[in-house]
Amino acid sequence: MNPRRSISSNPASTVKSRFTNGFLKALLRINRQRITSTTAYTPREIFRGYLRVKIAADVSMASAIGSRRAWSRAMLRKVRSHGRDGAQVRRMSFLAMRKRNLYGKKIKCVEEDVGCYQANVLRKLVPGGAAMDMCCLLGETAHYIKCLNTQVKVMRRIAEVFST
Amino acid sequence: MQPCSREMQGINSLLNPTQISLQDLHDQQQQQQSQIQSSQIHHQVQNSHFDPTSHDDFLEQMFSTIPPPSCSWSDLNPAKTPAAWDLKPRDLSDDTAPLNPDNNNNVAFQFDDSANLASKLRNHQISGSAKSAAAAAAMMLQQQLLMSRGVAGAGDSGLIPMPLSLGSADDNVDGSSSFKSPNLRAHDDSVQALFNGFAGSMHGPGQTPNQTQHFHHSQGGPVQGQNYGSPAAAMNQAPASGSAGSAPAQPRQRVRARRGQATDPHSIAERLRRERIAERMKALQELVPNANKTDKASMLDEIIDYVKFLQLQVKVLSMSRLGGAAAVAPLVADMSPEGGGDCVQAGGGNGGAQRNQTASSNDTLMVTEHQVAKLMEEDMGSAMQYLQGKGLCLMPISLATAISTATCHSRNPTNRPVLQPNGGEGPSSPSMSVLTVQSATLGNGTVDASVKDSTSVSKT
Repeated sequence: MNPRRSISSNPASTVKSRFTNGFLKALLRINRQRITSTTAYTPREIFRGYLRVKIAADVSMASAIGSRRAWSRAMLRKVRSHGRDGAQVRRMSFLAMRKRNLYGKKIKCVEEDVGCYQANVLRKLVPGGAAMDMCCLLGETAHYIKCLNTQVKVMRRIAEVFST
Repeated sequence: MQPCSREMQGINSLLNPTQISLQDLHDQQQQQQSQIQSSQIHHQVQNSHFDPTSHDDFLEQMFSTIPPPSCSWSDLNPAKTPAAWDLKPRDLSDDTAPLNPDNNNNVAFQFDDSANLASKLRNHQISGSAKSAAAAAAMMLQQQLLMSRGVAGAGDSGLIPMPLSLGSADDNVDGSSSFKSPNLRAHDDSVQALFNGFAGSMHGPGQTPNQTQHFHHSQGGPVQGQNYGSPAAAMNQAPASGSAGSAPAQPRQRVRARRGQATDPHSIAERLRRERIAERMKALQELVPNANKTDKASMLDEIIDYVKFLQLQVKVLSMSRLGGAAAVAPLVADMSPEGGGDCVQAGGGNGGAQRNQTASSNDTLMVTEHQVAKLMEEDMGSAMQYLQGKGLCLMPISLATAISTATCHSRNPTNRPVLQPNGGEGPSSPSMSVLTVQSATLGNGTVDASVKDSTSVSKT
């Protein structure tokens, strides 16, 4: 397995290249971890492994974007708090998000003329979308879709490379 | 007597656009009939058959007698107070009676001034800030004048282009102002004084300062509308109200702002917000495929579906990269028949529970595979027996692929255990078989083609 792709020497600072670099490094780290630990086929282990890779992908994507966008900030915040406190924080933040969502729903539904329901669904999908109005939400969604596309392309390419 | 002169000026200026034609009339008639017409006017005014329909005659004659004899006016109605400038035509006629003879000369050469003044006023208010309200108000005023005064034919033709130019907001402003005299600013004071006097005479002294304040050429289209409203209300007899009160007349005169030209800050903010949202929606439409929806709600639905799809792809791809394909494939295989959504997205909450059920069977599968591989190395027969004991069978890969593609929509291939002998390779068969299973269950094409590609690559 050749995990290291030949990244060109010139630091092409596109989002794509940054994401690729970060993601590959994270994959390396994960693989090293898995090699040291026993390869477990229990579902829990499998799930954990999948989660690690997914989080690595999301975090490297958000880091490639940096603090420029609200959704990347929200995602980094969520991952950091998730890693820090574990279950308790998750439970509490879940409740808080619930409350905030309800509250936000009440407000936004009053303001919105069309697409109130879809706006709330979108808020759940896009990270950090709960505290945004419709205008910002649409902008963040557009950027998020672009970044997701990049992410999928890169990961697909990596999967191709790994499987050969 | 001062107010009277100003009132006269007011009338002249407001009836302005006809001035040109009336001046012509005046010039024509002046030499001939000055004295005669003054007497005629006296008759008419005294008879006071001054109904709105006969305005033409009254106006023509009133303006044609530019220097009437001084005695004629004073003869008419000495009793009438000049300050009582009511809105009724009757009163108008009466009020014009006690005009100061001295002011007639003023009236005479103030025709030009008032003509210019009113035109400039109109231009100024056209070019002023609240174009729509002012234009609408001015247009309304003009129309009322038209209706109420029944201006002469030549005057009508001169007047009608004005509302038209007012109506077409910006384009014709220059055109309309081109044939008016240019110098506007110099007459502001006179115009203001004109309106002050006019309004003051109508509404009493109390409201005059209010309207002087309002009458500034600064912003406040609605205010200007109001200001127009009061003299318009004053002059107006056609809307059949004829009420002297300014307050009830004003709301009726105010014109609703045209679409896209509201001056209310709230509506402007609303409009900006809507425009921004429309921009963002257009940008999103380009990103999302299959975005030919015109409806906003369906567009949002498409966007939501696309975001969900992309997130699902990321999850699947992150799964496919875990160490061995063996670990990944069962999960992937179980996900895909359900469209992948439920199983994967439930990863946060109860994915563990779900995977327990599914993965346990695959767990045993893997164990079985290892067992069979071990057995095959030892004894083929025992391997077959072991398989049959488990309810499994062996079949060639080609057959397996054929079956899998044929039954690709089978939801839960419990008979998944198609362990194919792989031409002698024992231990490598698990990966092969698993991969074929993967390709089989992914034959729906719901999830991405990359996984399929990887399987095809590894098969060769």
